[in-house]
Amino acid sequence: MKTLLGVLCAVLAAASVAAIFHTNGYILGLFVAALTIAGVALAWALLGNLGGMISLGHAAFFGVGGYASAILAKSAGWPVLLAIPSAGVVAAMASLVMLPILRLRGAYFALAVLAYAEVFRILATEASGLTGGAAGLLSIPRIPSGVFGLSDGIVAYSLVVGLVVLLAVCYDRVRRSYSGLALRAMQDSEAATSVLGVPVFRLKATMLLLSAFATGVFGAFNAHVIGFLQPDYAFSGDWSILPMVAAIFGGYRTVTGPIVGAIAIYLLDQLVFKNLVPQGHQIVLGILLCAMILFSPRGLVPIITRGRSAVSKDKDARHVAA
Amino acid sequence: MKRRLAFAVAALATMFWAAQSSAKEFNVGVHMPLTGGLARVGISMWQGIQIAANLFNDAEGGHNSVKLSIVDDESNPAKAVAAVEQMAPNVDAFTGGFGSNLVGPASETADRLGKAYVTGGAVADEIVARGLKGFFRVNNNQGYAKAIDGLTTDLGVKSLSILYSTKDATSNLAQQVAALAKKHSVNVTMHPFDSNTSDFKPLVNKIKLQDHPQMIMMSGYENDYVGILRAAQILKPDVKMMVGVYGLATEQMNKDFHDLVQNVAGTAVLSYPPIFKTDDGKKFAESFKAKFGKYPDYNAVYGYVAAQMLFAALAKVPNGDASLASLAAELRKTDAETLLGHVRFDERGDNPDFIQRIAQHQGDQLVLISPANAATGQVKLPGRSW
Amino acid sequence: MRDLLLQALFSGVLVGAYYTLITLGLAIVFGAMKIINVVHGDLVLLGGFMAYVAEQKLHINPVLAIPLSAIVVCIAAFVVYLLVSRIREDRELNSLMLTFGLAIIFGNLYLIVFSADIRSSNNAWFQQGVVIGDFLYSSRAQICTLVGGIAATVLVWLWLSRSRYGIAIRAVSSNREAAMLMGMNPRSAELLSFLIAALLATVAGAAVYTTAVIQPTLGYDITIKAFVITVLAGLGSVPGIMLASMLIGIAEALTATFASSALQDLIGFGLFLVVLVVRPAGLFGASGREA
Repeated sequence: MKTLLGVLCAVLAAASVAAIFHTNGYILGLFVAALTIAGVALAWALLGNLGGMISLGHAAFFGVGGYASAILAKSAGWPVLLAIPSAGVVAAMASLVMLPILRLRGAYFALAVLAYAEVFRILATEASGLTGGAAGLLSIPRIPSGVFGLSDGIVAYSLVVGLVVLLAVCYDRVRRSYSGLALRAMQDSEAATSVLGVPVFRLKATMLLLSAFATGVFGAFNAHVIGFLQPDYAFSGDWSILPMVAAIFGGYRTVTGPIVGAIAIYLLDQLVFKNLVPQGHQIVLGILLCAMILFSPRGLVPIITRGRSAVSKDKDARHVAA
Repeated sequence: MKRRLAFAVAALATMFWAAQSSAKEFNVGVHMPLTGGLARVGISMWQGIQIAANLFNDAEGGHNSVKLSIVDDESNPAKAVAAVEQMAPNVDAFTGGFGSNLVGPASETADRLGKAYVTGGAVADEIVARGLKGFFRVNNNQGYAKAIDGLTTDLGVKSLSILYSTKDATSNLAQQVAALAKKHSVNVTMHPFDSNTSDFKPLVNKIKLQDHPQMIMMSGYENDYVGILRAAQILKPDVKMMVGVYGLATEQMNKDFHDLVQNVAGTAVLSYPPIFKTDDGKKFAESFKAKFGKYPDYNAVYGYVAAQMLFAALAKVPNGDASLASLAAELRKTDAETLLGHVRFDERGDNPDFIQRIAQHQGDQLVLISPANAATGQVKLPGRSW
Repeated sequence: MRDLLLQALFSGVLVGAYYTLITLGLAIVFGAMKIINVVHGDLVLLGGFMAYVAEQKLHINPVLAIPLSAIVVCIAAFVVYLLVSRIREDRELNSLMLTFGLAIIFGNLYLIVFSADIRSSNNAWFQQGVVIGDFLYSSRAQICTLVGGIAATVLVWLWLSRSRYGIAIRAVSSNREAAMLMGMNPRSAELLSFLIAALLATVAGAAVYTTAVIQPTLGYDITIKAFVITVLAGLGSVPGIMLASMLIGIAEALTATFASSALQDLIGFGLFLVVLVVRPAGLFGASGREA
C-alpha cells in the first residue's frame, strides 16, 4: 500500500500547487512544462532501469506522438482526449522498427535510437503533405477547457499530473512484478537468464513499447498545449536530453526521482537562475549536473531521503576497480 | 515523509516569492530570443524596440508613455508561451518576437489572453492564416519574394536556380520566388539542402553542369552563404548574379567575409553606410548610434517599425482603452510611411504593401540596387566574386 | 555525368578526411575507457576557436598555430579527464552525463566569449581552389585536411600498435585488472588517451575553421557525427575509422549530387543503422557486440 500512499501524497502536492497558483497562468504553465519533461523522464528511466537500455533519442517517440495526435485532431477531427492515447499507440508502433537494434548494448543502442530520431525528423520534413513539412502544423486543437468549469490551464495541469501519476504507478507495478524481477536479473547477465528460460527479447521489446507509448502520449499532450509543431521542435534533441538529465539528477533508479528531478531542474532554471544570470543561465544547469554526478551520482532523491534506511532494492552499482 | 513534505513546501514558497512581479500602466510586453541560436537577431530587434519607446516617450513629452518589459524566450516555443503568460496580466499589448516558430505559439497565447501582438519578426505565410483578430505584422516573405522577382526582371534573367535550406522560412520563401518567377516564364530549378550541409561543392557542381542558370538564389542563413559562395568561387559557374536573402547583405558579412561577398546581392532594408532620407529615419539612426554605439541593422529596423506602429495606435485609442478589440480596430486604421516603406494592415493582420529591397556588396559598402525608387546606386555586373 | 560522379566521389573523400580527424580522438577515448566523451565535439570546437583567435587576433597562420592551440585544448582535456576519473560507480552512464554537463558549460562559455556569430578562416591561401584535371575541384584547405587526416590515421595506428604507451592503452582497454597485475598504471594510460584525443581535436578544429564555418552550437553535432562513425567502423581498427569516414562522406556527396542534398543526413544515419543491424561489430570491428 506504499503505492497508494505515494499516489495520495502526489495528488495532495499537486492539488496544493493548483490551489496556490490557479490564477497565475505563467506558473501553472511552468509546472505543465516541467511535468511533461517529468513524464518523458519517467518513460526514459523505465527503459533504462527495467529494460537495461539507455536511449539518447527519446525525442523519436515524443515527435511521433506529437505529430500523430496533431494530425488526428486537426485533419481527422478526432477529439483531443481520444487523439492523445491513440498517438501513444502510434508511437509504440513506430518503436517496432527499432526491434532489430534491441540486441545491441550500451552506447550502441543509445546512439541507434538517436539515429532513428534524426531519420524521423528528416522524414517529417519531407512528408509535407501529411506533416506540413518544414512549416509544420499551426493551430493544433487545444486541451479542451471548460471541463467542470475549470480554465484550460487547470485542465491541462490536471491532465498532465494524472498522466504522470498513472505512469509512475504503472512503472512501479511492473518493477515489482515477476517481469520486473526477470528484467533486473537480465541486467546482470542476459546469458544466464535466457538459459533459465526467461524470454529476454520479448521482455525487452515490451519495455521498449511501453516506454515509447508513454513518451508518445506526453509528446501528444505537449502538441495540444503549445498548439504548434515543426520537425525541428517535435524531434528536438532537447526532448531526449532534458528528460535524461532530469532523471539522472533526481535519481533514475527510483520512481519518484525523475519526477523530482524534472520539476527541480525546470523550475529552478526558469524561476531562479534565469533571473539571476539572464544571459547564461544554462551554464548553471551544466554545473549543477556535473556537481550532482560527482558528489551524488544516485541523484537528488537519495539526498532528501537519506534519513531513511538505505536498503535499496536495486543493489546493482557497478564499481570500477582502482 | 515529514521531511519530504517540508522540503516540498519550502521549495514551493521560494518559487512563489520569485514569481512576484509588479504591475505598471501602459505597459508593453516584449519576448525575444536573447540567448540561444537566435540571440544576435533577438538582441538587435530588442534594441530597435527600445529606441522606438524612447523616441515615442520623448515626442509625447509626458502626455502618454510606454514602458517595456522584456523576457528572454531562449529561442524555445514553450518558453515564448511562458513569457507571454508571465507578462500578460501586467501589460496592455505585445511586440517583438522573432521566428515563426516562436511567434506562432506566442501570439496564439496572447490572443487567448486578450492582448494585441504586433511583430516584425515572423515572415512565413501560415502565420497570418490563423484568423487571429489581434495579430499584426509589418513584413512578410511575400515582400522578400517580390524583391527577388523585381531583381530577376531588372536584370532580364531567364533561368534561375534556387538553393534553399529545408527550414520553414527559407523553403517557404523559395517556393514563393519560384511561383512568381514562373509567372513570367523564367526557367526555375529547385535544390533543397539540409541545414547541416558544410560542403556545397557537389550541389553547386550539379547546378553548374546541369542547370546553367543566369542567376542563383540562395535561401538560407549566414553559414549557408559562406559555404555556397566558397564552393562557387572554386567551381566558378558562369552566372550573372548571386543573390541571397536573410542576413547576407549586412555590414557584418562585409566585414567578416569581405572578399567572398564582393558583388553578391542580398535582401536588405538599408544601405551601408545607412542613408536615412526622412526625419524619422535620421532621428532613429542618431538615437540608435548614441545609445548603442553602432548603426542599426535590418533587424533593429523591423523591431523599431513594428513597435512604432503599436505605440502610435496605443496613443490614439479612444479613452485609453487598450483592450484587444479597441486596439485592433485602431491598428487597422494604420496608414503610415515608415523606414520599411508603406505600412497598412489588412483583415489578416498582414502588411500587403511591404516590398523588401536588394543591396549589393560593393567594396566596403552595401548599395541598394532594387527597386528603382529605393536605389542608392548602380548594380555592378557580373554579380559574383570570381 | 561522369564529371558529376567523379566530383562527388572526390568531395566525399575530402569531407571523409575531416570526419576522420574528428572521429579518431573520440574513438581512442571510447576504445580505451569505454566512455562516450560527449564534450569531444566541444574540444574540437575549442581547437577551431583557438585557430580563429590565432588568425584574427594574433595574426598567426591558423595551421602554424596548432601547437599553441594544442596547449589550450590539452589543458581543457586534462580538466575533463580529472573530473571523469573521479567517477566511482556506473562509469558508462555517469561519465556520459558528466561529459554532457561539461558540454553544456563549454557551449555556453563559447557563446558568452565569442558570441553566436559564425567564424571562418579568410586566409586567401587556404581558400584558393585546387583543380585537378579540369573536373576535380577542392580548396587548398581541404587538400591540407586530406593530408592531415591520412597522416593522423597512420601515426595513430603506428603508435597504438608499436609504441609502449600505445600498447599500454590497448592492454588497459582490453582488460584493466590484468594490465594492473602486469604493472601498468591504467590511469596514466587513460590520461594519455585523453591527451592524444585533444591533439587530434586541435588539428580537427583547425580543419573545420579553414574548410567550413564554426559557431558555438556546433559542438554536440560534431560529437554525434564522430560517434556514429566510431560505431560504424567498429572498435579495434584505426584504418577502419578512416575508411568508415570516407564511406559516410562519399554517401553524403552522392546523395547530394544524385538525389537531394536535403536527404544527406538521412543517408548517413540510414547507412549507420543498416550496418548496426546487419553487422553489430561495425564494418571493421574486432569483437562481437551482441547480447
